[in-house]
Amino acid sequence: MDTFDYRRPASVREALRLVAGHPDAAFVAGGTDLVTLLRDRVRTPGRLVDINGLPLDGLRWSRDGVRIGALCRNAVDDPRLAAAYPVLVRALRSGASPQIRNRATFGGNLLQGVRCPYFRLPEFACNRRDPGAGCAAAGGDGRLLGIFGTSAACVAVHPSDCAVALVALDATVVVEGTRGTRRIPVGDLHRLPGDTPHEEHALRPGELVVAVEVPARPFAARSTYVKFRERASYAFALASAAVAVHSEHGVVRDARICLGGVAPKPWRAHAAERALRGERLDAATVEAAAEAATAGARPRPDNAYKVELVRGVVRRALTELGEK
Amino acid sequence: MAIGRPLNRVEAREKVTGAARYTADARLPGMVYAALVGSAVSAGRVRAIDTTRAEAAPGVLAVLTHLNRPQWHGTPDALRYQETRFPLADEHIHHHGQYLAMVVAGTREQAAHAADLVAVDYETRPAVPTLDAALPDAHQPVWRFEPEFPTLLAIGDPEAMLAAADVRIEREYRTPYYSHAPMEPHATLAHWAGGSLTVYTTSQHVHGDRPVIAGALGVPPDRVRVISSLVGGAFGNKTAVWGPTLLAAVAARQVGRPVQLVVTRKQVFTCHGHQPPILQRLRVGANRDGTLQAIVHHTVNGTPVLFDRPEGAISPTGTVYALRSVGVRVEVARMHMPTPATMRTPGDGPGMFAVGSALDELSYELGIDPVELRRRNHLAAHPLERKPWSGKQLLECYDEGARRFGWERRAPRPRMMRDGGDWVGFGMSSAQRLEHHGPARAVVEIRDDGTAEVRTSTQEIGTGNLTTLTQVAAGGTGIEPDRIGFRSGDTTLPESSPTYGSRTTGSTGTAVHLAALRARQVAARLAIADARSPLHGLPEERIGAAHGRLYDVDAPRRGETYRELLRRNGRRSIVEQGFHDLAGRDPRFSYATFGAHFTEVRIDDTLRRVRVTRHVGVFAVGRVLNPKTARNQAQGGIVYALGGALMEELTADPVTGRFIAPALTDYHVPVNADVGEIDVSFVEEPDYGAHPLGAKGLGEVVAVGVHASIANAVYHAIGIRVRDLPITPDKLVAGPR
Repeated sequence: MDTFDYRRPASVREALRLVAGHPDAAFVAGGTDLVTLLRDRVRTPGRLVDINGLPLDGLRWSRDGVRIGALCRNAVDDPRLAAAYPVLVRALRSGASPQIRNRATFGGNLLQGVRCPYFRLPEFACNRRDPGAGCAAAGGDGRLLGIFGTSAACVAVHPSDCAVALVALDATVVVEGTRGTRRIPVGDLHRLPGDTPHEEHALRPGELVVAVEVPARPFAARSTYVKFRERASYAFALASAAVAVHSEHGVVRDARICLGGVAPKPWRAHAAERALRGERLDAATVEAAAEAATAGARPRPDNAYKVELVRGVVRRALTELGEK
Repeated sequence: MAIGRPLNRVEAREKVTGAARYTADARLPGMVYAALVGSAVSAGRVRAIDTTRAEAAPGVLAVLTHLNRPQWHGTPDALRYQETRFPLADEHIHHHGQYLAMVVAGTREQAAHAADLVAVDYETRPAVPTLDAALPDAHQPVWRFEPEFPTLLAIGDPEAMLAAADVRIEREYRTPYYSHAPMEPHATLAHWAGGSLTVYTTSQHVHGDRPVIAGALGVPPDRVRVISSLVGGAFGNKTAVWGPTLLAAVAARQVGRPVQLVVTRKQVFTCHGHQPPILQRLRVGANRDGTLQAIVHHTVNGTPVLFDRPEGAISPTGTVYALRSVGVRVEVARMHMPTPATMRTPGDGPGMFAVGSALDELSYELGIDPVELRRRNHLAAHPLERKPWSGKQLLECYDEGARRFGWERRAPRPRMMRDGGDWVGFGMSSAQRLEHHGPARAVVEIRDDGTAEVRTSTQEIGTGNLTTLTQVAAGGTGIEPDRIGFRSGDTTLPESSPTYGSRTTGSTGTAVHLAALRARQVAARLAIADARSPLHGLPEERIGAAHGRLYDVDAPRRGETYRELLRRNGRRSIVEQGFHDLAGRDPRFSYATFGAHFTEVRIDDTLRRVRVTRHVGVFAVGRVLNPKTARNQAQGGIVYALGGALMEELTADPVTGRFIAPALTDYHVPVNADVGEIDVSFVEEPDYGAHPLGAKGLGEVVAVGVHASIANAVYHAIGIRVRDLPITPDKLVAGPR
């Protein structure tokens, strides 16, 4: 671990001031990911701004939905949240371990690093960690890596379960910067790697995530999250699906299907959503949507099995909703 | 009677309250900390190493590299050191993670930080990263020390018998790199005082470590004391001295202060061993009635580039089933890997996966029930020693296991059992492990306050041995277990057998048993000779002992306590030694432990992951000293092997061979939710031929055969035969739906 300057501001304004003009500064909240990256020297910030003292936790409900403070812990236990947004609470509960959920925050969850072993081991070349260095994963073991949205420069997957659910809910992150407040749809927060995998997200330098806003949508309450992994608990997704469906008179009017564990960002399966609209949620529709969810997949031989897993998680999630 | 009671662990309270002290908890005044720099490349050499920044970092006391390290003494071979090369020997790099430098600093953080500042200029060479890449190098191994098993053997004419057999199968099985993945990383605290060295270290064998440490550091063994308190998981990887122990001692001498060296979690995966990948080719021939005619077993395992280290996966091949002929060939192939280590169920674990899977495959070819096929090939005598097995209740284990499991509900063919969306499958396997033993010494002291103490160097590695050995001492002396103290894990104590190879119960247990009996005998004779004793003049065989009291077995109210006896005679204590002698066994028999595993798996057809929902294990291990610790150890062994069957794999990068999952986040061991119902029972019959207590080793046989039992259940459920462990979801997506 390298040495760094540690600060603990008392206000958002002070936090923003502490990072302004310090391109090597980083915010830390729960630290469940960043601390391991610091320890392994994957991240080497010169200044660490600890935002745990800021008043950014708690849920605020309104007619339009809920605003979740960026420092709200992943162990959030709120019956109203579970009723209004089942997919979100299930995604949170499927992630990590109770100890980590007690510590990890919403903002940190969204901005955690990718789960590519080559990214996390500095002995290997990684374009995301070290622009232009090359990608050891390209010729390496790719069983856990992406099948959608990858590039020659990067094949990593984003590990967040929470972000996948938030994309399915049309959620927005609220960010504060010295130039004011912005809102970014969670679906646009993470960038596809292309030729610049080190540009990981849409935040501008010095901006801080202060909240997540989840709107009230007709499909939100009929939603679920299916996560498939190598062991029963405490593992990242090999593939997951956040699915939300709104039907009227038995016909699907609107739907969201977002995949996790298979792409560098939460992967919206638009083709699968189209396969549902205007249809009854019967076995044939489920099958068509599960197949459509794999559209655009570009697997390698060692992760081709994930294509079948995508069908599986979408099929399972839609079947579960169809039974409701 | 203390033996056979389900006593709680004697150290349970300390462990659950956090009061237990492990090696990394040891503290000495003025102690400082060391950290290791590992190689970023898998093969090559250090062209240059720049330590100036590290030396200038806050708190740094010393930075050692191959250029400035103190001279080692002795040679690795003469000292029987685990590796052929002492740490920091020279500039050559033979595996990733190899130590290139050690930093000593005032705090652990300062040491870790300075270690990051050591700059290495590498000359990199291409690595042999995988077993497949190494296969062209496959060769018959040269043993460093005495051979542990035959690497080339033929009994009868296996080729001719195979050719003549009614049915033949030929299959290839693979096991991956497995990590011992102990919770407790290797830890050492070394302290010099007046030319004597005290080493607190994580060890399964303190007396075995001492001569190696002393030899490498050039001091007489009697100037070295090795202490190993509670060990937080070992599974074989603490059986030998590793580099960090030697380096901590070197550092402590260099800086003149006690030095603690605890390896990082990442280094757990490269610094103290793993099981290398093993490829096994099996050819099995049988007649239509199921009688086995021949097995030809050829294995190749990865070995480090510097020396040959064969794995004994052929261990079960010739000794588990009745065979008319056997052929084995063991080869090794050089890879750029860190040094492997023996791992719980060495040989038998991977070997029984292959043999137990092949028997299952054969059962379908022949249309014979897997249990029945094993019964028909039951082996009554050890085929090489040509002696009958002692205490072989394997047929009873099959019967009891099948009954408890409900084996009769098994459908005869795969893909016939469904429950909703789940495929259901039943599998089974035999279990066997030869009963190893070694010399062991222990002392039992009966004191004039009515208490006793056991002293032997054994280490508590999590098995419950301090508890069972206390019970043994209680049984021998007639003093209640809660009045018996224990001193262990220290070379100042009599040398126990090492705590590996399932030896503690048989070997150290016998030493404690004999010491306890002798102490009691001395007390009894003291009473008989003492005119003031109520037992005066009685024949020795009439004197019993219970509840801290000697008594007349014909008139139990006649007697006196040890306390009364010793105080009246002015004796502070009686101290007697027990010795387990290798000649102590009945030579007419061969010895092993046996068992049978039965597994139910369920596999959701949509999202195929294997869930072990029920597992029944029945074992014949002689007498069970403590049903609670025994069941716990059996359950632990089954879970351990379940991990190896379904998820554990130390994935290596296919280009460099570097392990890419060096963390417990990524190296998956089972979590609680992965473990279904485990039913453990014993066919209990004391084996007095093996040891005077009638008890045999338990820690390994319980895990042997589990891999095959699970893989066989997977095939039965879904019709997919996975011969390449672990059985991860990617291996189940193909195939019929």
